[in-house]
Amino acid sequence: MWCEVVSLLRSLGSALVSYFDAKKKRKVAEIYQALNSDPIDVPKLRRMAISKGGLLTDEIRCKVWPKLLSVNTDNLPPLPAGKELRQDNKDYQQVLLDVRRSLRRFPPGMPDDQREGLQEELIDIILHVLKRNPQLHYYQGYHDIVVTFLLVVGDRLATALVEKLSVHHLRDFMYPTMDNTKQILNYLMLIIDQVNPEVHDFIAEVGTIFALSWLITWFGHVLSDFRHVVRLYDFFLACHPLMPIYFAAVIVLHRKQEVLDCECDMASVHHLLCQIPQDLPYESLISKAGEIFVQFPPSKLTKEAAQAERTAASTFKDFELASVQQRPDTVLRQRFRERMRGEERLRGEERTKSILTKPRTNRFVKLAVMGLTVALGAAALAMVKSALEWAPKFQLQIFP
Amino acid sequence: MAAGDAESSLELSLTGSGALPGALPPARSRIFKIIVIGDSNVGKTCLTYRFCAGRFPQRTEATIGVDFRERAVTIDGEHIKIQLWDTAGQERFRKSMVQHYYRNVHAVVFVYDMTNIASFHSLPSWIEECKQHLLANDIPRILVGNKCDLRSAIQVPTDLAQKFADTHSMPLFETSAKNPNDNDHVEAIFMTLAHKLKSHKPLMLSQPPDHDEIHIKPEPKPITSCWC
Repeated sequence: MWCEVVSLLRSLGSALVSYFDAKKKRKVAEIYQALNSDPIDVPKLRRMAISKGGLLTDEIRCKVWPKLLSVNTDNLPPLPAGKELRQDNKDYQQVLLDVRRSLRRFPPGMPDDQREGLQEELIDIILHVLKRNPQLHYYQGYHDIVVTFLLVVGDRLATALVEKLSVHHLRDFMYPTMDNTKQILNYLMLIIDQVNPEVHDFIAEVGTIFALSWLITWFGHVLSDFRHVVRLYDFFLACHPLMPIYFAAVIVLHRKQEVLDCECDMASVHHLLCQIPQDLPYESLISKAGEIFVQFPPSKLTKEAAQAERTAASTFKDFELASVQQRPDTVLRQRFRERMRGEERLRGEERTKSILTKPRTNRFVKLAVMGLTVALGAAALAMVKSALEWAPKFQLQIFP
Repeated sequence: MAAGDAESSLELSLTGSGALPGALPPARSRIFKIIVIGDSNVGKTCLTYRFCAGRFPQRTEATIGVDFRERAVTIDGEHIKIQLWDTAGQERFRKSMVQHYYRNVHAVVFVYDMTNIASFHSLPSWIEECKQHLLANDIPRILVGNKCDLRSAIQVPTDLAQKFADTHSMPLFETSAKNPNDNDHVEAIFMTLAHKLKSHKPLMLSQPPDHDEIHIKPEPKPITSCWC
């Protein structure tokens, strides 16, 4: 009898394993299909990056992250010599200090010399991006984001991705002052207020500084398991630039009971929330963040027009439109050769035009996400919706 | 990673011990909020960690924004919570963010790195900034020169630092958060500050003391020589 139960459980177990394997295989196939379609099916790649498990492997991330950021991987410029970069760079000393201390970001057990080599690469990537974009200012925590890209895609591609990301998503953190960063932190209060006013009133007393490192490192600084970090990066790269602050809100809301049980002072709440539990249910939190985004998009959170032009969110629409014009790598290579012969230019322009003018109604968007889980659909919908309609207008004075 | 996790849990357990049954209810124990400021990489995190966890952290990273550590101590029978706010050293944080942390601060610890003269030269701007943020002028402030164990690399001579400290009416301590032989010194610095605060004036949540007499334990004298 017992033996039968055991063998039944065993076969059930292996059935489950093969079920998940099959599901995963299907997802991998779908991702490659999206990568190879012409033009590249970026909306689908975004959905894949958002949905359960994200992009699954670093091998896939190497292929998909560039597409999510509209980076052409074909003719990446060579990296300049590190020595040159390090001379006369105003940020060099700070970058050096931060990178040398960032041992925890590297896989445990990595040999020292290998890690040290990567740290040197990390310094060079950061300095290179800063040098090419003098409007961007280094902040402590930027290195926590860059190291994630370095570890997943290697230095050459990481440089291109980080540059694009910095100019678009991270630039709010890279102004001479952190005023924009403070404004984005204000969104945290607005989101929490919509979902749970009780938690909002409690947090309002203690401020939002606890979420600063979450926001400006995309959680890279506070999560110790690298798999969680890259999973979140899949999600954030596929979404609106304000998604990290929605995710921060979801973490607070997930721990609302602990928060409300806390003494209502800045220190206690700060201390509680800064210790992020290692066993957070990331997939369901990601779904929840997507849901809340759809329900309370940034434009709904803030009614007044004013600051919109100043944040990265304001140019997200252009960024999105650019990303749907990408061609699969094979086509790109082919086109590159053709362009050499000067034949492709006209056709390319026509195609671009047709993509830009193609009517994409909400109905289309909804159809596109049908069949996906509710949460995934919601998040994907949010993403596409925001690209089409979203024009954030806000003026906030919550933060002193 | 493992080391990092162990460090966090240690911090937690120390903080948690304040709330154990038998300790004073939190609302009735006084809280001393101390902010620790200074340039990047001078050792603010190591100093606060050393005091709250009792040892030098194996590895520390750049502090992003602010970190918070706490330790419950008993001074002359009174339970007191010492909160240390460990701040980011990079200028952009202090310009935009740090003002937030200055709220209700009871004492300020300025830290410089004895092996880095630039961190010493930054002190006037830290002091100036502190003046702008703090409403009261009589808040206790101390100056800590860290990393005195690196004898051969010292760039800030003690007499220079002492002169500076005197000009600004602050006691000077030279110490090392790292040196294991210096076990009691970091402790003594913060405890001195706590004693000073205890006798300074009623702080937040003050409770009527059982007895007015305050026994101040022998303080480590502000020093002119390194204890390590």
